Amino acid sequence: MEVITVYEKPTKVAPELSARLIELGAGKFIRCFNCGNCTAICPLTQDNVSYPRKLIRYAIMGIEDKIVSSIDPWLCYYCGECSDYCPRDADPGSFMMALRRYLTTKYDWTGISRLLYLSKKVEIMAIMIVAAIVGLLIYFLHGPVVLDRVQLETFAPIHIVDTAGLAVFFILAVLLITNLYRMYRFVMRDEYGERVRVPLKFLVADFVKTVPVHFFTQMKFKLCRVSNWINHLIMVYGYAAAFILFVPLLRFTQTNEPFLIVNPLSIIGIFSTLALLYGASISIRGRIRRSQPMWSYSHLTDWMFITMLLIVTVTGILVGIFRFIGLPLATYVTYSIHLMIVAPFLLLEVPFAKWAHLAYRPFAVYFSDLKKHFQSKGGGIHA
Amino acid sequence: MPKSVLVIGGGIAGIQAALDLGDQGVEVYLIEKSPSIGGRMAQLDKTFPTLDCSSCILTPKMVSVARHPMVRLLTYSEVVEVKGKAGDFYVKVLKKPRYVDEDKCIGCGECASKCPSKVPDEFNLGMSNRRAIYFPFPQAVPLKATIDREHCFYFTKGICRVCERFCPTRAINFEQKPETLELNVASIIVATGYELMDPRIAPTYGYGKYPNVYTSLEFERLLSSTGPTGGEIMRRSDNKHPKSIAFIQCVCSRDVKVNPNCSAFCCMASVKHAILAKEHLPEVDCTIFYMDLRAFGKGYQEFYNRAVREFRVKFIRAKPAKIEEDPETKDLIITYEDTFTGVKKSIRVEMVVLAVGVKPVYPEALSLPIGEDGYILLKNPIIEPVAADIDGVYVVGVAAGAKDIPDSVIQASSAAVKASILAEGVVHE
Repeated sequence: MEVITVYEKPTKVAPELSARLIELGAGKFIRCFNCGNCTAICPLTQDNVSYPRKLIRYAIMGIEDKIVSSIDPWLCYYCGECSDYCPRDADPGSFMMALRRYLTTKYDWTGISRLLYLSKKVEIMAIMIVAAIVGLLIYFLHGPVVLDRVQLETFAPIHIVDTAGLAVFFILAVLLITNLYRMYRFVMRDEYGERVRVPLKFLVADFVKTVPVHFFTQMKFKLCRVSNWINHLIMVYGYAAAFILFVPLLRFTQTNEPFLIVNPLSIIGIFSTLALLYGASISIRGRIRRSQPMWSYSHLTDWMFITMLLIVTVTGILVGIFRFIGLPLATYVTYSIHLMIVAPFLLLEVPFAKWAHLAYRPFAVYFSDLKKHFQSKGGGIHA
Repeated sequence: MPKSVLVIGGGIAGIQAALDLGDQGVEVYLIEKSPSIGGRMAQLDKTFPTLDCSSCILTPKMVSVARHPMVRLLTYSEVVEVKGKAGDFYVKVLKKPRYVDEDKCIGCGECASKCPSKVPDEFNLGMSNRRAIYFPFPQAVPLKATIDREHCFYFTKGICRVCERFCPTRAINFEQKPETLELNVASIIVATGYELMDPRIAPTYGYGKYPNVYTSLEFERLLSSTGPTGGEIMRRSDNKHPKSIAFIQCVCSRDVKVNPNCSAFCCMASVKHAILAKEHLPEVDCTIFYMDLRAFGKGYQEFYNRAVREFRVKFIRAKPAKIEEDPETKDLIITYEDTFTGVKKSIRVEMVVLAVGVKPVYPEALSLPIGEDGYILLKNPIIEPVAADIDGVYVVGVAAGAKDIPDSVIQASSAAVKASILAEGVVHE
């Protein structure tokens, strides 16, 4: 008989892992008795992608390495079938959601994410501080306040708002890209925990094949629960349109001209903000009523995210209305509030919290495809 | 003061309790609501772990208890009222009319063969038909015909009376009325047993929708020579022998949303089913899906070992998530995660047997405290394991908690001793 020697890294056990995950909303996963019903009922698992049971097992045993190197939490879209049919009521769906929160804190190298997720105080303070800074900037930097007619550009000079927007955009890009790189380093490992070196041709080809498609269509979500997928797409496209309209095209949308409904930009603006309003309301109502498994547990970060999104949308709509009916002071005040919420919303949620999934989800599909090359060829090249 | 004991339920536990009391010289009333004693055990083909023929070990006991000078057997009867206290209970029993004179009926079966009304047979779980005048099964005790009023053409339409014409002893009596008996007993033993949960509450397994999905008790009837197929394992869809059978454990049991309890006997019953299937059809492929295989009793682990080594039964540790049917072949596709390898898989089998969980049957006239687990509450499950929470009342068998035949019999004997202590005078004679 051939003797195969496998040098596996010793497993490090993190006894506090379960407690950490429970803080992040993993709920009752310790009840699990490992029957595998969840994995089998899941519409997204396949032969070589197997969750949630395996991950619950790792979490209960405290094998942090296996969890940190797993892409699977990002391949789960929380339809909740696993929780509906769990014979132990261990709520695997909530567990997977908590893993996504946990991984977000792990990918983030600044440590800010961990603070935001684990402390309500820090989260609220951070939002207030960023809002206050923006408030102070507006107070000191705003232009002349014209009160006989609405002059938004005069109140908030475009070069200042644009520069701030660009700065925010740059910070976000740096944070997201570095976090994604850390994610890549964590997950590109073989079954023995050794890092795998991926040839450039795979890196490029798989990126082209997966990331744009999954970023724009989120078709994995569709397999999960079609109605949720449609709501999510409405929100995503509403947000994307609003973002393009009010960040790169700000010089055309934030003007001194009166607000005209027939303007094509206005029409896009109205539709995109209505889409956001619809999406945010559905989600808030769902979270209050806990009408679906995916809304059964709401972490503070979820409430913050959705509340800020709602405030940003409502204030944005109000700015448009006030401009339309010509209320100068109301426009300026609402716009200031809008900016004060937009800043922490973008700066905290995108790189450090819930919103980071916009990058992690499509890249998870990409990394999982990359990993398949090594699985199918019987192991990768060890780094 | 009374010297007799009432036993409610004529299954194996009730029979054993009545026999042990009778043998001590205590007068016993054994009440059974159906036309024959025997209970669930009478429906079984073989018993684990010895593979004894169930009827062969049960029937002698049924006959003994019916003929016992100290036992008064009241079949087709129900307890309707219980009053009093330990040592002095007043019990009202309703004896339902069989419309057959028990003294005259000789059990020849002429009536049942001539009766034109066909009714799904409860004993075979509806997989075959009986007549409106019937014997529940060939070894029924007492072997007296019973007319099922709801399906008898005379009672429903006012015509027929064919049985009356053919009965050689003129035992048919359509004028029979319900009788009420008043008993005074010292103690009561409750042995009301169980019913199976309805597997339709686990919708992903498709019971009731896919013809080739069976419950464990249905499969037991298929194995039995007195069953609907005469002991042939045949599929409902095409009457062919299956080439592969999957047995799924813990259906409607060990599930906090439906029934958190373990039914205690299903693991061994399914191992037995797989072995018997192999004995009936040596080429059949048997797979048992289990979560934890509970082989705790004497000889049980060895029984499991035998299934694996001698009969090549496959065991997969998984709770299957769903069963789908191939609409053409009526084969079944089971999706599961093999929890030893962590791989999601599916297999195709030709028959599925669900090991369905049990729920206790309560004696309606006796409002006994029920425990959190849904079984009749015991005074102290450790040191008084057969005493109900009312003095003078004992509870045995599955009504007190899921268990197998040997454990039910042990409890029955134990309760018989306890009950006889209250039957005053016995100890001193």
